[in-house]
Amino acid sequence: MEKKKYRSKSVAERISLVLIYAILIIISLVWLIPFVLLVVFSFRGESVGISADYIFPKQWSFKNYITLFTETQFLTWYGNTLLVSVVVTVVQTVIVLMTSYALSRLRFKLRKPLMNIMLILGMFPGFLSMTAVYFVLKEINLTQNLFGLMLVYSASSAMQYYICKGFFDTIPKSLDEAARIDGASRHTVFVKIILPLAKPIIIYTVLTAFIAPWGEYMFSSFIMLGDTDKYTVAVGMKSWLDNAMLMSQGYFAVFCAAAVVVSIPITALFIWLQRYYVGGVTGGSVKG
Amino acid sequence: MADLSLKHIYKVYPNGTKAVNDFNMEIADKEFIVFVGPSGCGKSTTLRMIAGLEDISAGELKIGDLIVNDMEPKDRDIAMVFQNYALYPHMTIYENLAFSLRLRKLPKEELHNRVVNAAEILGLTEYLAKKPKEMSGGQRQRVALGRAIVREPKVMLLDEPLSNLDAKLRTQMRAEIAKLHSRLNTTFIYVTHDQVEAMTMGTRIVVMKDGFIKQIDTPKNLYNYPENKFVAGFIGTPQMNFFEGTLRKDADKVHIDFAYSNAQITVPYSMLYKVRPDYLDGKTPVYIGLRAEDVSVNSQKVKNSKSTVKVRISHKEELGSETLLYGDINMDGDGYSESSTRIIIKDDGNCDCKAGDVIDAALNMERVHLFDKQTEESVLPRLPEYNYLQCTVQNGIMNFYGQNTELPPAMRCADGEYGLLIPTDAISEGGDVAVNVKACEEINGKYLLSAELNGKMIYALVTRKITEDTLKLGIDLKKLTLIKDGEKVIEPMPAVNRFNGSFVKRKVKKTAEINGKTKTVKETEFLMALEDREFVVNDGLARKLFAALGVKKAFTTPLIIECGVYDIKLSDSGIHASAEGVLDYGNEKFLKCKIGENAVYLLTDKQYTGEVYIEPDFDKIGIIETQRDIRII
Repeated sequence: MEKKKYRSKSVAERISLVLIYAILIIISLVWLIPFVLLVVFSFRGESVGISADYIFPKQWSFKNYITLFTETQFLTWYGNTLLVSVVVTVVQTVIVLMTSYALSRLRFKLRKPLMNIMLILGMFPGFLSMTAVYFVLKEINLTQNLFGLMLVYSASSAMQYYICKGFFDTIPKSLDEAARIDGASRHTVFVKIILPLAKPIIIYTVLTAFIAPWGEYMFSSFIMLGDTDKYTVAVGMKSWLDNAMLMSQGYFAVFCAAAVVVSIPITALFIWLQRYYVGGVTGGSVKG
Repeated sequence: MADLSLKHIYKVYPNGTKAVNDFNMEIADKEFIVFVGPSGCGKSTTLRMIAGLEDISAGELKIGDLIVNDMEPKDRDIAMVFQNYALYPHMTIYENLAFSLRLRKLPKEELHNRVVNAAEILGLTEYLAKKPKEMSGGQRQRVALGRAIVREPKVMLLDEPLSNLDAKLRTQMRAEIAKLHSRLNTTFIYVTHDQVEAMTMGTRIVVMKDGFIKQIDTPKNLYNYPENKFVAGFIGTPQMNFFEGTLRKDADKVHIDFAYSNAQITVPYSMLYKVRPDYLDGKTPVYIGLRAEDVSVNSQKVKNSKSTVKVRISHKEELGSETLLYGDINMDGDGYSESSTRIIIKDDGNCDCKAGDVIDAALNMERVHLFDKQTEESVLPRLPEYNYLQCTVQNGIMNFYGQNTELPPAMRCADGEYGLLIPTDAISEGGDVAVNVKACEEINGKYLLSAELNGKMIYALVTRKITEDTLKLGIDLKKLTLIKDGEKVIEPMPAVNRFNGSFVKRKVKKTAEINGKTKTVKETEFLMALEDREFVVNDGLARKLFAALGVKKAFTTPLIIECGVYDIKLSDSGIHASAEGVLDYGNEKFLKCKIGENAVYLLTDKQYTGEVYIEPDFDKIGIIETQRDIRII
């Protein structure tokens, strides 16, 4: 037994390591290549269609980006998406945090059934209800309207309570109790005690709340149908792809440029927020 | 700074588990009360109900003059220290201390002064800028204490505050909390499972087990006069020795036989006066409890003692100042495991006995404790419930110990000899029974009088400290029991009547004048349905029922209504009952009626027959909920 610790790795161990790394490398290539291609294509100076059979541009240029912002509606779409996403992020974060806190701390009738129903409902794909949602929006005149889109995105926010509630459950209840005895109302406890301790989960909620509407296609394509001024980026760029003539005329590179621009906010958001992502904020509060 | 009153407090969980059962206690201002008991005994739950963190299932909780059952914790003006400190980790110590004051919107200057002052008291001044995670356990607990004291609350609640600290720190903090109590001059309620903490800190201790209060008393009285085997075993280290055995009375001596052993000792009967006679038959098993320090192997003491037993020593524990000798009064016992023959002896260290030796040990029978084997209640209580006497009845005259009393018509019985039970609370000052006072001691606010009636010791509960040598006592005859051949010939009259009832609401139309116009309005009336009648009751009663049962359940739950014999009267609109006759106790007469199978008694002055109608006084009733067996009022 003692010897085994000092022995060099056996052949079988080496082979399994090689295999593991090989698989990991393949997976990461599959993940990375499309993104690299997208970035590289976006810098093509020459006008070639989607069918070009080489990778690196013959002429590096920012031409596609300039076209993107000057000759297309992309900037409008970008603004639409940003507006919708930011509003939804704020609304959804607030709702999710409050719901999770209530489900974690308050005890009321039908609490468990309610949690289960929300969990099960959340398992159905959202677009099942798409036609129904569309007709409701049409009735209240909110189709082709950004506000309608925000409404659709944030309506089911509370159903995202699960992870957040799990986090709140780990914050000792005696903190709440101590604060309540100190004279705090439930609301004060939530704002002054729980939220400052819940940074990692707030960040997580913000990120997920932002990413979902940013890339969402299904609902916005339906709701904004026919009004190009109200398109979000996903819908707008899909409309380019659908136009074969546009693609063959070298718009493919512009499309790639648009994709790069779209990925910037998410990347930036993540880089900015990930430093808060580290846990361990509750250290020292109660005896561990 | 306030007194607390807990009346019939219950905690019942939805699944029917009762965490706290009928908790009754009056806590005076500035007391240091300790709740102690093994885990799961309901002590923390009780504390959390006082704090408002846990709903009170039934009962009435008062802080000062306010009923606080439905009050939010923040409005109760209490402060609480938690076992796990519960400091706010993202705030500095200063902010932790100031949090409650900021919520109260205290002026900045006063806030600062109070925080600094509290920090000074607890020696935290240099840590004010630190965060909780930078501090040690002891310091954190100090901050938790500080957070409580800056509030200057009416009541300080402490929930096992020291159990996360190591032994040395715990002793130190114990002293500090005691010091804090004398300095702050406020009411403290302290929960712990550590009996040493309880004994050293409390002015009064509440011993709990399985949701029931086992005893409330001062540390000294708990140690000297435990009311049941649990308290006797829980308080004191090493644990009290418990032997099984029987008591056999033989003229003026009592023989005590130890079970599973040949040990037998004899004590004078005068030592066991308070024991109920049925325990002295030589058959009823009892627990015989003796503390380790009431057993001695000191040769001088053994020589002088009349009650010694043989002990086989199994091992010793040297504690420095004293030695604990472990042994067995059964020569085959091992002395290690806890059994009903194992004995622990506290010795001053002079005994040179070794394992295996058989030596004589003197038992200090003056300090013996006796407990019933089934109920584990003391059969040698400090406050005896009954006097156990003998009497003879001849021609309607009862004679006991030279005292002749004419039996009233209600108690007529055949001539002969009877056993006589007189409750201690049936004897009061003023009457024609002349006694010689032997002693009068105060026990939990009551005065127990020990007096001699022609050579027989009798006990009475009196209302004041008696200083006279002789006294005349009166006996409330309706509380007596006469026993012949083990059967009760005369039973005491029940003090309370019980009715089945339920709570009802009804909409009634009333004409009221609104803005000068006469209109019919609907009003809700609350009624108590008792047997076949409904009585309108006041809103206060309704509110108590709602608080205890919830608004919906209050109307569906069957109730039992209790009403004292003095708090019920005849009334034309009352419950229909049939009069059975009058019990004549001489100076008082009671009418006995029947409602179905239930007998009801009430004070009366003349004879009634046939149909009567009775009505209880709803201001004085007690209410019991039958489903969960909870006393609501």
